[in-house]
Amino acid sequence: MDAPSTPIPGGIEGALDVTPQTRSRATYLEVLHDWVVTVDHKKIGLLYIGFALIFLVVAGLEAMAIRIQLAVPHNTFLDARSYNRMFTMHGTTMVFLVGMPILFGFGNYLVPLMIGARDMAFPRLNAFSFWVSAFAGIFLYFSFIGGLGLAGTGTAPDVAWFAYAPLTERPFSPGHNVDYWALALFASGVGSIGTAINILATVFCMRCPGMTLSRIPLLAWIYATVSFLVLVTISPLTAAQVMLLIDRYLGGHFFDTQAGGSAILWAHFFWIFGHPEVYVLVLPAFGFANEIIPVFSRKAIFGYPAMVAATVGIAFISLGVWAHHMFTIGMTSLGNTFFTLSTMLVSIPTGIKTFNWLATMWGGKLRFATPMLFSVGFLFQWVIAGLTGIMLSVSPWNWQLHNSYFVVAHFHYVLVGAILFMIFAAFYYWYPKMTGRMLSETLGKWHFWLMIVGFHLTFDVMHIPGLLGMPRQIYTYEPDRGWTLLNQIVTFGAVIQAVAMAIFVYNLVHSYFAGKLAGPDPWDAWTLEWSTPSPPPTYNFPVDPVVASRRPLWDLKHPEDPDSAFE
Amino acid sequence: MNDMHTPPQTHSHEVHTGTVHLPAPTAWPILLALGVMLLVGSLVMSVWIGALGAFLLVVSAVGWFREVLPHEKHVDVPVQHEIVEIEPSRAGVARIEVDETHRAQLPLQTFPISAGIKGGIAGGIVMLIPAEIYGLLRYHSLWYVVNLLGGAGVAGWANPTPEQLTHFRLGAFITANIIQGATTLLVGLLYGALLPVWPRRPILLGGIVAPVLWTGLLHNVLGIVNPYLQQNIDWWSFAASQVVFGLVAGYVVSRSGNLQRLHQAPLAIRLGVESPGLEGHKTEEDDRR
Amino acid sequence: MSTVPLQHESLAATWRLPSRGRVGMASLIVAECAIFTIFVVAYIYYMGRDVSGPKPHDVLEVPILGTVCLLSSSFFIWLAEHAIAHGNMRSFRIWWAVTFLLGAIFLGTTAQEWHKLITVDHLTISTNLFGTTYYSLVGLHATHVVVGLILLLTVLLFALAGKVRPRHSERVQVLALYWHFVDAVWVVVFTLVYLVGR
Ligand code: HEM
Ligand SMILES: [Cu+2]
Repeated sequence: MDAPSTPIPGGIEGALDVTPQTRSRATYLEVLHDWVVTVDHKKIGLLYIGFALIFLVVAGLEAMAIRIQLAVPHNTFLDARSYNRMFTMHGTTMVFLVGMPILFGFGNYLVPLMIGARDMAFPRLNAFSFWVSAFAGIFLYFSFIGGLGLAGTGTAPDVAWFAYAPLTERPFSPGHNVDYWALALFASGVGSIGTAINILATVFCMRCPGMTLSRIPLLAWIYATVSFLVLVTISPLTAAQVMLLIDRYLGGHFFDTQAGGSAILWAHFFWIFGHPEVYVLVLPAFGFANEIIPVFSRKAIFGYPAMVAATVGIAFISLGVWAHHMFTIGMTSLGNTFFTLSTMLVSIPTGIKTFNWLATMWGGKLRFATPMLFSVGFLFQWVIAGLTGIMLSVSPWNWQLHNSYFVVAHFHYVLVGAILFMIFAAFYYWYPKMTGRMLSETLGKWHFWLMIVGFHLTFDVMHIPGLLGMPRQIYTYEPDRGWTLLNQIVTFGAVIQAVAMAIFVYNLVHSYFAGKLAGPDPWDAWTLEWSTPSPPPTYNFPVDPVVASRRPLWDLKHPEDPDSAFE
Repeated sequence: MNDMHTPPQTHSHEVHTGTVHLPAPTAWPILLALGVMLLVGSLVMSVWIGALGAFLLVVSAVGWFREVLPHEKHVDVPVQHEIVEIEPSRAGVARIEVDETHRAQLPLQTFPISAGIKGGIAGGIVMLIPAEIYGLLRYHSLWYVVNLLGGAGVAGWANPTPEQLTHFRLGAFITANIIQGATTLLVGLLYGALLPVWPRRPILLGGIVAPVLWTGLLHNVLGIVNPYLQQNIDWWSFAASQVVFGLVAGYVVSRSGNLQRLHQAPLAIRLGVESPGLEGHKTEEDDRR
Repeated sequence: MSTVPLQHESLAATWRLPSRGRVGMASLIVAECAIFTIFVVAYIYYMGRDVSGPKPHDVLEVPILGTVCLLSSSFFIWLAEHAIAHGNMRSFRIWWAVTFLLGAIFLGTTAQEWHKLITVDHLTISTNLFGTTYYSLVGLHATHVVVGLILLLTVLLFALAGKVRPRHSERVQVLALYWHFVDAVWVVVFTLVYLVGR
């Protein structure tokens, strides 16, 4: 069918980057120096990602230790105290040293490129935020040698990732291990707030000409929303850590139940942070899906304004649901009702998003490359995880299942099945841009299918011991409970996932040296980052891009039928 | 990759050179971060570490300050680019082909917001009649239903006797009015938005289907929301007043305008509302001119 | 090849974006508001829950002088902003110095109050819930005042040395935004601690 050609007012022009690339050989020391003093958003983004990947492996090993301990009843692989340390450090690491940094890393790398900017709004603050977070991570792990636990030897924090009061008060946690936890989160919180401010200022103040707020890629919208959420949720956590430190160091009574302080107040403060935090983690995953699904369906995203509205809506609703983590602490029936209903309300904007992704794929020309495979896995798993979430939000149901393995299964369904899957998709999609080489598709498919099998073995099955009454955070169990076989299946699935992870890490390293060359635009995509060479030069764009639609590169490739004619 | 579209280009072969300002690399941020971390860490280590941290903090704060003031330090990177004019070379973009009948029957218009508000208010008032009839017949009191809605069973007024419910109580009266007012108004607005979905049978949708659905929903969840209300409510009169609300609100809303529907519109308009990219791209263009 | 799109190049001339300094400061203020909210909630939550004294009613006096100084400083810094925006550097220096002085007086009155509370009333941060919440809330605000004063002083010194020019007006205004925020928070803290909580 012939489409009428639509002349664009002024025609479409492009600027071809022909800057000669000089490759000078630098010594290792020079390279190291370069990375340490850099303020380039791409390098800082990569630093964030690399840092997070190291901790992903560390926390993954901790998870394996947990699973080995639970594989048989009365196991003695770990004793009770080390088991407590393992799940505390696993949870804290995964949320604060893997999830947040990896998402900030992608944000740092992609947001300026996508909106046609040369750097973040505050490049030096950016470097500072990264290094503070990095030092905080190292500091947290230093507690293994420096923590001074009960016997005066080094110990890591062992109070679970939500660190409920009054267990964290001096009389119950002498020594320094809780201090390590609080101080590390305090410092990493400072870094996160810095980056959030930076991203907000970047999205609003650094856009290239023509890049109006209704044209920025959805990923940029999402990062702006996430940054806002970080501002209003990490700050309460930071405030609560300060209170805890006042209690521990200055003898304050905020959470000191013997002097009238309230343990429930800590729970409220923690979850006021804690619930929006999970949306801080999942929204960037949505952002990746928003970019990847259209490109591999060969259609523009369905319902851009609805997607933006749903994002902002999710952010606001998520601020009003925190007490669904506290149903068993005891609330009035009014409180129970309110938090049940507000939690269920989240499913509306979330549903909008899910349907929009489906509508984007509907009738499209799907290409099942690895990024798309992971995205489809994400869609499927995200819906199931949302459903178990809705189940848990019904307060009477929650009274039965709170703090059981059902909850553990629910949130790992989100954190692994949705967030980690989308992070993998993002790696396969943007790795060519970041390094100039493609990740191996064959290894990618192995990675995907092993991940799918391992994930479902572990986390589908994990719901059942929860329903059978197995509590979380216990270091061992009796053989006569009927949990043994289920736990063994779960552990077996975890082993498969570990293999998949190993393949992924191998793929990252191997492809860096031997991957296929990518060229600037391997996926035939539409957003501005693909208009730069891979990897992009420090200055990103030789001239400021000027855009006239949401898909500037589509316009560039199809001057006969540009999007800008319809805006 | 294989299906990559290289944009067709004509080069001007004229190389433009320019320079790009980039912020200069600097070590102050990492030193400041280290200072902050050491200062924080001194709480679990030793004062000397804290002293070192404070020293680093001050030095690097000053260093940073001098980095940006009075002028931000930057490096100049020379760049070159060519301007290319991009022309279409291929015939066109493949469009998704859909046949004429394959499309949603969308309403062309919606009701004004005021219609929803009016409908909500009217329905909200008229629905009182069946509810009050029930209250008067059964308990001989105007206030029974009001009290039931407005707070019995909640917080301070747990488990009142039916006797207490028949007497006026200001708090309950106000709460009941707020609940009644807000919900009827909101549902009215929803009607304004929703009734065009089934433009031919607004009364059936708004008057019967919707009230029956939500009464059923309430019947199931009320036990969780307010068990006391659940025990004392009379479902038949409740359902009746919901249906009355639905009928009245639906009637008022749909009275306030005869919606034009797609199948009533002339063919041109029916084609005109197509989203671009489906079919009949031409009309889209024509409209624009 | 890597090609940057350049559609409607004429658009570039009229392209305006908000100032990153302002957006950055506004974001910081949002975060700070959240922090203060948590401390304020804790204060309200523990109000009147103490079993042992001293109670707020017995020991707190309303700090009229400090409050007047701090709140009026917001006005003077506004005058200073106005002056620098119009290139009037002399009055900028004067108003800026006045602002700094008022802020310093406020800090002095707080120091005095704390001195009295500690030595006369024997109220410290570990005495009771009131002590814990009072010192942390007022102390958090005082910390912000101290940071603000350091920044104000830096600008003042550079201004006296003639290094601050009208073209720095934008940055000065961003700093002033922070100072306005510190003042606004005091309104909340003051109302809560000295009016409602006493
Ligand atoms: C956005 C992705 C989500 C993530 C990352 C997530 C994560 C979590 C986490 C970490 C917990 C357990 C906290 C703990 O006790 O340590 C949790 C519990 C819970 N989640 Fe989610 N969740 C997500 C989505 C949802 C959704 C969509 C809902 C409901 C609509 C939901 C409802 C709940 C409820 C009710 C609990 C409390 C269970 C209990 O502790 O008894 N979650 N979630
Ligand atoms: Cu939650």
